[in-house]
Amino acid sequence: MNEFDMSQYLSLFLDEAEEQLQQLDEAIVLLEQEPNNRELLNKIFRIAHTLKGSSASMGFEKMATLTHRMESVLDFLRQGKLVVTPAIVDLLLACLDKLKELKDGVSQGHEGEVDIEALVRRLEEVSSKERDEDSSPPPSLDRPLELDDVEENVIRAAEVRGWRAYEIKVELEPDCRMKGARAFLVFNNLKDLGEIIKSEPHTQELEAEKFENSFRLAFVTKEDADTIANVIKSISEIKEVFVRPIVLEEDRRPLPDTSSEPDASKSPVVGEPYPKRDVERRVTQTVRVDVQRLEALMNLVGELVIDRTRLAEISTNLRNRLGNEELVEALDEISMHIGRITSELQEEIMKARMFPIDQVFNRFPRMVRDLAHKAGKEIEFIVEGRETELDRTVIEEIGDPLIHLLRNAIDHGIEPPEERVRLGKPRHGTIILKAFHQENQIVITVQDDGRGMDPEVLKQRAVERGIITPEVAARLSKREALDLIFLPGFSTSERVTDVSGRGVGMDIVKAHLEKINGSIDIKTTPGAGTCFTIKLPLTLAINRSLLVTLGEQVYALPLANVVEIIEVEPHQVRRVQQQEVVVVRGQVLPLMHLAKALGIKRDCSFTGNKAAVVIVGLAEKRVGFIVDTLIGEQEIVIKSLGNYIGKIPGIAGATIMGDGRVALILDVHSLLSLLETEAQGALAS
Amino acid sequence: MVQLVVFQLAGETYGVDINHVHEIIRLQPITEVPRTPDFIEGVINLRGRIIPVIDLHKRFGLPPAEATNNTRIMVVEVGGMTVGMIVDAVSEVLRLPEENIEPPPPIIKGVDVAYLKGVGKWEDKLIILLDLDRVLKENEQEELKQGFGPEVAAV
Repeated sequence: MNEFDMSQYLSLFLDEAEEQLQQLDEAIVLLEQEPNNRELLNKIFRIAHTLKGSSASMGFEKMATLTHRMESVLDFLRQGKLVVTPAIVDLLLACLDKLKELKDGVSQGHEGEVDIEALVRRLEEVSSKERDEDSSPPPSLDRPLELDDVEENVIRAAEVRGWRAYEIKVELEPDCRMKGARAFLVFNNLKDLGEIIKSEPHTQELEAEKFENSFRLAFVTKEDADTIANVIKSISEIKEVFVRPIVLEEDRRPLPDTSSEPDASKSPVVGEPYPKRDVERRVTQTVRVDVQRLEALMNLVGELVIDRTRLAEISTNLRNRLGNEELVEALDEISMHIGRITSELQEEIMKARMFPIDQVFNRFPRMVRDLAHKAGKEIEFIVEGRETELDRTVIEEIGDPLIHLLRNAIDHGIEPPEERVRLGKPRHGTIILKAFHQENQIVITVQDDGRGMDPEVLKQRAVERGIITPEVAARLSKREALDLIFLPGFSTSERVTDVSGRGVGMDIVKAHLEKINGSIDIKTTPGAGTCFTIKLPLTLAINRSLLVTLGEQVYALPLANVVEIIEVEPHQVRRVQQQEVVVVRGQVLPLMHLAKALGIKRDCSFTGNKAAVVIVGLAEKRVGFIVDTLIGEQEIVIKSLGNYIGKIPGIAGATIMGDGRVALILDVHSLLSLLETEAQGALAS
Repeated sequence: MVQLVVFQLAGETYGVDINHVHEIIRLQPITEVPRTPDFIEGVINLRGRIIPVIDLHKRFGLPPAEATNNTRIMVVEVGGMTVGMIVDAVSEVLRLPEENIEPPPPIIKGVDVAYLKGVGKWEDKLIILLDLDRVLKENEQEELKQGFGPEVAAV
């Protein structure tokens, strides 16, 4: 094995280990709630087992040792020789944490420094307790097929090709007359699916019918266990077929759930279907692609989108110049076709970059459990819409804000059990995390049935902290009062825990979400709970924008922020204090020239006949921006302005237009908040 | 030997290491970016990439120059950043022996000595060698920040 270059397997191993640890995490947390769920225990056992196998084969001794010990404990749990107690769950979770640490160590190249002794001892204590009572190992119906080195190497080589090795046990009917012929048929049918690398008894003995009613085979194939079993079962006079994967490792513990399960042998089909098969099936049909490659593809498609627009523009220009000539027609047709294909390509690649949000959600049950324990709260955590898909870039950014919201719900939202009982609520609180698609957005809600927030209390608190003056507080509406929690330095908890209530949090949540063009909204009822609603764009790479001009330059306003476009005549404009406003359907709308908002030095006076005004909206806020002309709507690819220029307030990036020129994309969030601070500054001076 | 791209700026001859020069293009329409320091002219589209363009006259506080037929944007790459620099003209590519390069004199007409690598002698000409790292990086962040102050206040 040492002659192989392991490094190429390392990243695969790490990816898989990550997945397996995550599955373990979820499953063990669930186990705490359902201690008698045998299926779940089996699942946990299997994952631990796989992890043990792979870490051992990669030569990571500590991981292998630790998972091995875990497996022993899990085995006793599975056999009902140990009972699932909170102490055991804690121990298992502690092991998981250690495994994660080891895994992280491996990825940084120093597995050796993590200490696992203490945990291994604790695991041993737990399993030895059991062993004292029952020292004889459980009788196993089947010992695994003995394989020699050559055969093992064949299996390894097959696995490299993406095949799998199975052990197959075929039981013939007791009154079967032509055992040899049946065995031959089994061999013959299997030959089409893969390769038989061993049989027990040996083929010659099988042919000579020198065997009892059953024989066993080692078989490598691309097919799954079901297919194998079905093929064999199609032969008559076969009583039973058991198929289980062969795992190569030092102690070769047979996988559970197969023929050793008493109730499995009753089942007429196969030995218990091998549960990892779902995963396997996925592996054969999917390819792990480097994220970089997807990014590069997305960039290329972005270029194509730009060229598509250019092509369409040229073809329009040609038509204007030359009229309906044959060549123009042809160009038009091609341009349309390319346009359609590009759109489809874009959509497909966008989809390829989509991940189920479960990637983020799956670590939360454990976190909620731990935090609830720490805070002394009883919480039922419900997750819905795990399969909702969104873009990788968005997924990366959404984790932290959600953690903050969940922590807040646990620490501040949900009351302690006694208090809840006193209030006549169920003893345990409920937190619901939900994700779903709505129009072109992803909506994520975090809802708790805790104490909710009282706008008056929030106002009072903000005044106490010196964030706002009592006069300002008195003027705030209920909604505005709720928004106070998004101000830096605001914290509503008297108690300070190690994760929330440090006066940071909601302002960061908001900043984070705005960075990815998301928004957050609160609904709360004092005494009944709070619901945070987050809305996110499906992707950050491409958006639909309204193109407007200021002088020679084109600016793109993301359509998500555009509420309405109106025309305003000079006589409609009023002045309130220093601010120009216009009344639209009874609502007072602050008006500003976009050039002025952006800090462009030019004449911004409004003298002409009519002016085009784009009303942009952000949550409740509305501002009308006067622009020179409107060009229209267009799909644009967002590009960064680069490190040299860096982040400019009010500008989200740039895009390349059909004519090859660069248009700046406006960042409505930062533009509005910039204007707000400037207005406050102006008031102060 | 050092290979230099030699260019003209406000009547003086300058040179930069050819390894930093990505390409030289004609002046093209530049998209202004608001709220940036004065010397940042804006951004251009370089075959699908967005590249910032700076005006070296303004960067070094030299008298401004009208764009002519010879005006070029010299696209340079330093430390992972790609930036276009507007220069009056690009004249030639030279090979200069190391021994012809001297440390910058304490006082030199035009550019701040801090931005110089040295002065090269070529025939009867003096070529001022720019330290692009410094031109693009040092003080840059500072000036960008400082650039904000008055602009923002002026709104």
